[in-house]
Amino acid sequence: MKSAQRELALLGAILVLGLLPLFGVPGFYTVANLRNLALDNVPVLVTAIGMTAVIIVAEIDISVGSVFVVCGALAGLTAQAGLPMPLVVATTLGAGALFGAVNGLLVAWARVPSIIATLGTMAILRNGIIHATGGAWIQNLPPGFQWFGLGQNLAQPVYLMLALALVVAGVWTLRQTSLGRSLYAVGCDRVAARRVGLNPPAIILAAFVLLGTLTAMAALFNFTRYPTIETNAGVGFELQVIAAVVVGGTAVTGGRGNLLGTLLGVVLLGMIGTVLTFLHINPAWAQAIEGLIILAAVVSDTAFGRDHAHD
Amino acid sequence: MTETATARPPWLARWCPNAEWVLLVVLALEISVFGLTAPHFFTTNNAFDLVRQAAEIGLLVLGLTPVIKTGGIDLSVASMMGLAAVVLGGAWSVLGLPLGAALVVTLLLGAAGGAFHGLLITRLRVPPLIVTLGTFSLYRGLAEAMTGGYASYSGFPTWFLNLGQGRVAGWVPAQLPLFAAVFAGLWLMLHRAKLGREIAALGFNAAGARFAGVRVNRVLVRAYVICGLCSALAGLIYVARIGQAKADAGFGYELPAIAAVVLGGTSIMGGRGTLHGSLLGLLCLVVLQNGLRLAGEPEEIAGLGAGLILLVAIILNQSWTRMRRTRQISLLRPSTPLAPEEFHMKNSQIALLVAAMFAAALLVAGSNWWLVRSLRSVAATRTAPAPAKLTIAVTPKTTTDPYFVTCKEGADEAARELDVNLLWNGPITGDPAAQNEIVNGWITKGVDVIAGALVNPAAISSVLRKAQNQGITVLTWDSDAEPDAREFFVNQATAEGIGSTLADEGARLADGQGQYAIITATLTDTNQNEWIKAIKARMAAAHPGMTLATIHPCDGQRDKAMTEARNIVQAYPGVKVLIAICSPAVPGAAEALKQADNHNVKLTGLSTPNLCRDYLHEGWVQSIVLWNTRDLGYLTVYASAAAREGRLKRGDTSFTAGRLGPLKVDRDQILLGQPLVFTTANIDQFHF
Repeated sequence: MKSAQRELALLGAILVLGLLPLFGVPGFYTVANLRNLALDNVPVLVTAIGMTAVIIVAEIDISVGSVFVVCGALAGLTAQAGLPMPLVVATTLGAGALFGAVNGLLVAWARVPSIIATLGTMAILRNGIIHATGGAWIQNLPPGFQWFGLGQNLAQPVYLMLALALVVAGVWTLRQTSLGRSLYAVGCDRVAARRVGLNPPAIILAAFVLLGTLTAMAALFNFTRYPTIETNAGVGFELQVIAAVVVGGTAVTGGRGNLLGTLLGVVLLGMIGTVLTFLHINPAWAQAIEGLIILAAVVSDTAFGRDHAHD
Repeated sequence: MTETATARPPWLARWCPNAEWVLLVVLALEISVFGLTAPHFFTTNNAFDLVRQAAEIGLLVLGLTPVIKTGGIDLSVASMMGLAAVVLGGAWSVLGLPLGAALVVTLLLGAAGGAFHGLLITRLRVPPLIVTLGTFSLYRGLAEAMTGGYASYSGFPTWFLNLGQGRVAGWVPAQLPLFAAVFAGLWLMLHRAKLGREIAALGFNAAGARFAGVRVNRVLVRAYVICGLCSALAGLIYVARIGQAKADAGFGYELPAIAAVVLGGTSIMGGRGTLHGSLLGLLCLVVLQNGLRLAGEPEEIAGLGAGLILLVAIILNQSWTRMRRTRQISLLRPSTPLAPEEFHMKNSQIALLVAAMFAAALLVAGSNWWLVRSLRSVAATRTAPAPAKLTIAVTPKTTTDPYFVTCKEGADEAARELDVNLLWNGPITGDPAAQNEIVNGWITKGVDVIAGALVNPAAISSVLRKAQNQGITVLTWDSDAEPDAREFFVNQATAEGIGSTLADEGARLADGQGQYAIITATLTDTNQNEWIKAIKARMAAAHPGMTLATIHPCDGQRDKAMTEARNIVQAYPGVKVLIAICSPAVPGAAEALKQADNHNVKLTGLSTPNLCRDYLHEGWVQSIVLWNTRDLGYLTVYASAAAREGRLKRGDTSFTAGRLGPLKVDRDQILLGQPLVFTTANIDQFHF
């Protein structure tokens, strides 16, 4: 398909970043620490799978942070109302798919540019949740809500397995199925995709519905780690996700990218804060360093002479 | 460039190539609705307040328009405002440059930032979205790193502050001539000069423009330099208006600015767009916000409305311009547009779309219902005979923090007992500029009392003095203004009181020996930084065995607080006690300790009983320090009414507030009492 230079560059960056804690405080390389670090990044990773698909079809979705918190709140409210957990999951995923469908319809059929359509839905959902809850947290959840009642020690490895299974399923979908190939085709050239008999609007819609569903799943993974639901969560979540996907080598111009890169992007960006803490670096520098790493990763890609078809 | 296939009058086609007339209709609708429902909407005062509010975002909009017209985007505009503010303050007060020189340096920095974007985009071929996503973090991060987040610069000379606060000829806000000059200059450049034509050409088709002799790279760099300059200028005006240079200047302004540009008809694909359209788009959003504030609606309603207007206007606009398809290729998207037959909407598809939109509208907070309700309630207050009820307007620092949510419960209770109208509105994110605007709206509206918990006391005091001059009774609560800007301060506890109580608790839990770490909201938070200062001072004075290991921000988010707490505990093995000083941080840190099954590290902090009750009983939180927040809201409303009606005067030594009984009054402060320490022993007596 293409050379793996980008992935190698990311892997190199991850290794360099991963060596740094050896010079800091011990304890970074403990099973518990790595497991928790991974768990913290599961929501970003799961959402980034869907975001990769959306960016491959040359669209973007900046409403995921709002969808994330609204789905979390819905999960909490339905659980509070006494629905059994499987139904809670179904409702939440359905809501996520619906939000994705609204975004997808706006983009594919009303042909509103995706950055504008999702800016609109982002504002509506975020302000809607504030208005509906007045900023109050959702409390008094049934005991079966946290960790789905599995208990932490059992649930944590299960969550990680599920997230990795989703990545594997995503890789397989993108590489081996006609849907995956259609995503690349539509992202590369919509007219050509049309001419060979694909239906671009339907494929764009599918990508958005997939992203909405995965965002709802990420919300379940995130909010079931707690006994209460914070209605102010997910601010800035969309930028974390998009940054991980583009650092992972998916081109915002569409038609190029893969989930292995996205996974590496999530790992790289997700490590920074924890590594800096273990090096006892002042947190005031964290954001600047993160920005530099994003720029460096993207610039190194072009320094490798990767061809960007801009015009 | 465009071929109109419709029979529109040529003047409309010429001035509104992108269906800006849709915006004119929207704007006319807004103005007529608010003119009918919100008294004081049609006043020069209000018009000038609008200008002040709109100037900074307006400058970002002016800078973004040429960039988006090239088919690019700049997400870093608001971060550049923060960097510009910090560089200006630093150059002037740390390096000792004359202020004029510091201003020039800051503007040059803005231009350099724009040139940096332009170079990465043209030379290295990195898409604009990614470049500016990186610099969005980088610029804001640099601003925080240079100041540690908490350092701020104030004491600027009057001539500079007048740029943001002064009035020309006694009544026109100083921003207006400045903004008008920038607008006129850019308008000529974009619509009457070669550069503007080149920008449009390359936005439509970069390759074609290059063949036509346009120096594409140079034009692109110039567009980004203009944008950087405008962002830095917006940062300067922000500093002049707030009177303080800090790293959080302009936080969160990028999205409304981009929304205004695309609402104004500039195509995100490039090529199409007018500067006057962008200005109309901005006015639509600002008038909506201002009108809803005057109508007494909470902040989030304006955000909801803005999202809806954006979607509706763009859909109308799309269907309008569909008749006049133009071939465009943009930097953002290489795929050629579809020929008309590729994508026509079938009736079934339209039905589906409508159904989906309808479902979303129903799902999202029943938006129709509250719109009707709010309009009806506003209309009702107009048609009802003028009520003699007091109107008390209370602003919290932020409406979304659980702390202030519980304050509101008490305020509502008092408003019912006293039979007064209570307006409760504050910034969603704790943005000082938004709080200024809310209070300004109340002054225009003419409320009886304004009681504020202030995000940034330095910034808002001048607004409060203006309110006093108009005969409005001004009180503060939770965090004070300058003493001459208000009559009374409802004081729940001083920063020293809070800081020393927290420090004493921390030292008690660590037996006076060892390291402690602080988890704060953000590094730029004024209140939190005062508490940190007080904690440090108390530790140094009374607990010499305690040393500070580190201070980490959690962005006011529980999820991040959990991560930070876990990292601190592992990376600083000497830490024996965590002090978490914002309400979401305590449950976050408690959950981290619980999941790590860590009983060695103790946890105390500032949070509400309801959020921490279970953690306290389970032993993951040893104590929380707070006061009865519900009573604080209750007392604020009681004191507001009494001060207005003359039952509370300077010189009183005690004040009786409803169910709270007599409370001590110390000169101009009403004291709620000492901070409470909640432990397992007493927490179940409190339900807020």
